[in-house]
Amino acid sequence: MILAVLFANSVGNVLIERFNGVPAEERLHWRTFLVKLGADNLKGVKNEELLVACHKSVYIVYTMLGDVSIFLVGKDEYDELALAETIYIITAAVKDVCGKPPTERVFLDKYGRICLCLDEIVWNGLLENTDKDRIKRLIRLKPPSEV
Amino acid sequence: MAQPLVKKDDDHDDELEYSPFMGIEKGAVLQEARVFNDAQVDPRRCSQVITKLLYLLNQGESFTKVEATEVFFSVTKLFQSKDTGLRRMVYLIIKELSPSSDEVIIVTSSLMKDMNSKIDMYRANAIRVLCRIIDGTLLTQIERYLKQAIVDKNPVVSSAALVSGLHLLRTNPEIVKRWSNEVQEGIQSRSALVQFHALALLHQIRQNDRLAVSKLVGSLTRGSVRSPLAQCLLIRYTSQVIRDMANHGQSGERPFYEFLESCLRHKAEMVILEAARAITELDGVTSRELTPAITVLQLFLSSPRPVLRFAAVRTLNKVAMTHPMAVTNCNIDMESLISDQNRSIATLAITTLLKTGNESSVERLMKQITNFMSDIADEFKIVVVEAIRSLCVKFPLKYRSLMTFLSNVLREEGGFEYKRAIVDSIVTIIRDIPDAKESGLLHLCEFIEDCEFTYLSTQILHFLGIEGPNTSDPSKYIRYIYNRVHLENATVRAAAVSTLAKFGFMVESLKPRITILLKRCIYDSDDEVRDRATLFLSVLGGDGTVDTDKETKDFLFGSLEVPLVNLETSLKNYEPSEEAFDVDSVSKEVKSQPLAEKKAQGKKPTGLGAPPAAPASGFDGYEKLLSSIPEFAAFGKLFKSSPPVELTEPETEYAVNVVKHIYDSHVVLQYNCTNTVPEQLLERVNVIVDASEAEEFNEVTSKALNSLPYDKPGQAFVVFKKPAGVPAVGKFSNTLTFVVKEVDPSTGEADADDDGVEDEYQLEDLEVVAGDYMVKVGVSNFRNAWENMDEEDERVDEYGLGQRDSLGEAVNAVTDLLGMQICEGTETIPTNARSHTCLLSGVYIGNVKVLVRAQFGMDSSKDIAMKLTVRAEDVSVADAIHEIVACG
Repeated sequence: MILAVLFANSVGNVLIERFNGVPAEERLHWRTFLVKLGADNLKGVKNEELLVACHKSVYIVYTMLGDVSIFLVGKDEYDELALAETIYIITAAVKDVCGKPPTERVFLDKYGRICLCLDEIVWNGLLENTDKDRIKRLIRLKPPSEV
Repeated sequence: MAQPLVKKDDDHDDELEYSPFMGIEKGAVLQEARVFNDAQVDPRRCSQVITKLLYLLNQGESFTKVEATEVFFSVTKLFQSKDTGLRRMVYLIIKELSPSSDEVIIVTSSLMKDMNSKIDMYRANAIRVLCRIIDGTLLTQIERYLKQAIVDKNPVVSSAALVSGLHLLRTNPEIVKRWSNEVQEGIQSRSALVQFHALALLHQIRQNDRLAVSKLVGSLTRGSVRSPLAQCLLIRYTSQVIRDMANHGQSGERPFYEFLESCLRHKAEMVILEAARAITELDGVTSRELTPAITVLQLFLSSPRPVLRFAAVRTLNKVAMTHPMAVTNCNIDMESLISDQNRSIATLAITTLLKTGNESSVERLMKQITNFMSDIADEFKIVVVEAIRSLCVKFPLKYRSLMTFLSNVLREEGGFEYKRAIVDSIVTIIRDIPDAKESGLLHLCEFIEDCEFTYLSTQILHFLGIEGPNTSDPSKYIRYIYNRVHLENATVRAAAVSTLAKFGFMVESLKPRITILLKRCIYDSDDEVRDRATLFLSVLGGDGTVDTDKETKDFLFGSLEVPLVNLETSLKNYEPSEEAFDVDSVSKEVKSQPLAEKKAQGKKPTGLGAPPAAPASGFDGYEKLLSSIPEFAAFGKLFKSSPPVELTEPETEYAVNVVKHIYDSHVVLQYNCTNTVPEQLLERVNVIVDASEAEEFNEVTSKALNSLPYDKPGQAFVVFKKPAGVPAVGKFSNTLTFVVKEVDPSTGEADADDDGVEDEYQLEDLEVVAGDYMVKVGVSNFRNAWENMDEEDERVDEYGLGQRDSLGEAVNAVTDLLGMQICEGTETIPTNARSHTCLLSGVYIGNVKVLVRAQFGMDSSKDIAMKLTVRAEDVSVADAIHEIVACG
């Protein structure tokens, strides 16, 4: 299960957060933990360079894309490798929608589309789509090109 | 530090690029949402408003029930629009709003229409939305469409249905399990993702059917799996099958190992890592099996992708715990990871190296770690310190460099947990490696010079007091200890005074100087420090209060012989008087509950009672107490101690209860007596036992209680011999005899001239019953245990238990009689039940395991019948159980 997908800006404000199977009372803890993790480690990291950590029995993979940091938290079958795969798709889709690694402004301008992309990639904690071209079509309700 | 978690709109005003959501407010957005109701829908405008709603929801904003309902109803109107972009947004917002079950009906018809639409993407999205919001009843209605969707030629539709299946399996497993044929077809799909989702779903559906999973794995490992994700799943399921087969005793060559090994050559890195991990986790993996996996993991250690490095080093770290030698080949690659930017990787590398490193590499490793320690968080540092502690125990010759490392990190900044880990490590090393003692103690001394944690300072001072005096030059520690008296808080000062005294006592040459130092402490501002200084001065000064060195030594270094609870109670009860508090007057008995506490329970608000029931751990306490009495030492191992049986009514002058201690050929009766009359002192307290109704018992000895002052429980013992290993039963009548003396309640002292008056006090009778020879011992799986016992030795009989109020009463009567452990929660009887089966287990005297199945039935007139089936390791014991019930 992918427990959380979180986007934050460069100063740690949350832009998008989606939790799956995380009780409401634990969300604040996770939010704080992830933002701190980013603040401690993401300075000076290159675009899309993946960082990885374990916390108790869950895995965290996170990265920087333009002005936006992206965090994924998973457990069980979603270990660091599966999360890396997922975050790779997410960053590709975001870049595709924004045309480049986004500034915060661009990210917010394309907010609706990014939400749609996320909806296609992770659904209730399960990875659904992994191909950015297909996602690009799906968010416009176009069938995948191979059909 | 964590950044503030404020909403974006609270952000800096001077930001050049202003946010499109600047100043966004829930009320205003809800107002804007009214555009959804317009006769002419403006798709662009509506999409913008939906985006704003999404933004609010993603920021953790919540809508009230009324607000959510209103928005949801308006959104449903947008189904009229043919604009595809808007339709996509509508699907998303409905999922996000998650309407309540009574509202869902508004939208289901639109969604069901979309689910059968010619436009594939409508179908896929409608399925996802429906599955998110519907309940079981509606699911049955649309099940047919979902099954069709699974085999849809469009992979997006198929995937949507399969992933929906994964979610629905949690809420409606029965329905989803009916789809296995279609899902099976999905596994054959040419689309990689469909195959991945189908495999996950099929495995979930069949996970409890070992044979089916094994077949699934068998067929897929031979065929081709298209996506790396599905291949990873397959590897996981294969590992499970291998484990199951091993558990079920299949021998010979390990099945599927070849498949796992072939996956090590897969083109996708995630598959290779998954396979390597699966191999390393095989039960009883051999080094031949392990080698190829370790080789690929080693390659990943130098991968440019951090995730791969992390995954590899994490796996190797686990392998190092069980097969350290297998990992040593990777040591050079791991050493280069110590400087990895990603701290999680570096920490894993270091802790792995510390497990696998050899003696010659310790120094080099320490040097590298020192550079690394300054920039990792405390939690990582603790892991490293703990790894170093075990390394030092492993290579004692290397203690110098390890100790130097620990002392260096001890001087650096760090939180309490981290410092404690270091101090604990140094203490362990000092204890385990005698050569390390002197330098270790000096490091600790230096640390307390500048330690901000009171707890650690006192612990170290205590440790110094024990170890320091035995070193070659104890005087060098005195300065550090005495400095504490000047510089620290009262707790640390008091600890320092105690430590000084220990040095003074142990090192004769230091005694005069320590005495001078202690004299300076008697003017301390704190009571405890002054008291300790005064006390130790008198102990060290040899002014006659202490007779021998041994007593001083016991006092300074011995452990406290009385339980703290008892000491506390006695101190509380001690009234300041001319007579000093005597620690010998404190009861050493562990089990007795303090009187004050008993009063607090409010059971007997005015009276005083006998010591109450022993705590659950009482057996150990009894064993300790009995073994300390020389007369009982020859009786062998204590088999069982009963709970205390009250022999007096509540609120009587003398409260007495008895504990029956069962040995193989003896029974010791322990009478716990409490004198509740403040004006009396009882002496020569004894219990006279008449055993005429206990034929097999012969009294061998008794142990009287010399003195029983007010409110200080004491014990008298009477010992009987009985035939060895025989569960003898009988009835005993008891009389308490004693000499009573008058005391002055204000001083608690008896008149010295008073010879006292002999008196006696009739106690209730006591029975030793068959249940006293049974120890409650539970079994984890009753059925297994039952089947493992020989059916031949089973004894069955039926009994009428007469009229009872309820089944529960009958069950309690039987279980009390047998004294056995009730298993698997069968003590719980449903109300109004007319029949019940109770499972019991225990060990009978002679260490014979006994299991009982008691079936109770009640007829309309509340007459209860019981069928009792007994299995025991010894058939005579099974008969004995029936005898107990028949007689009971």
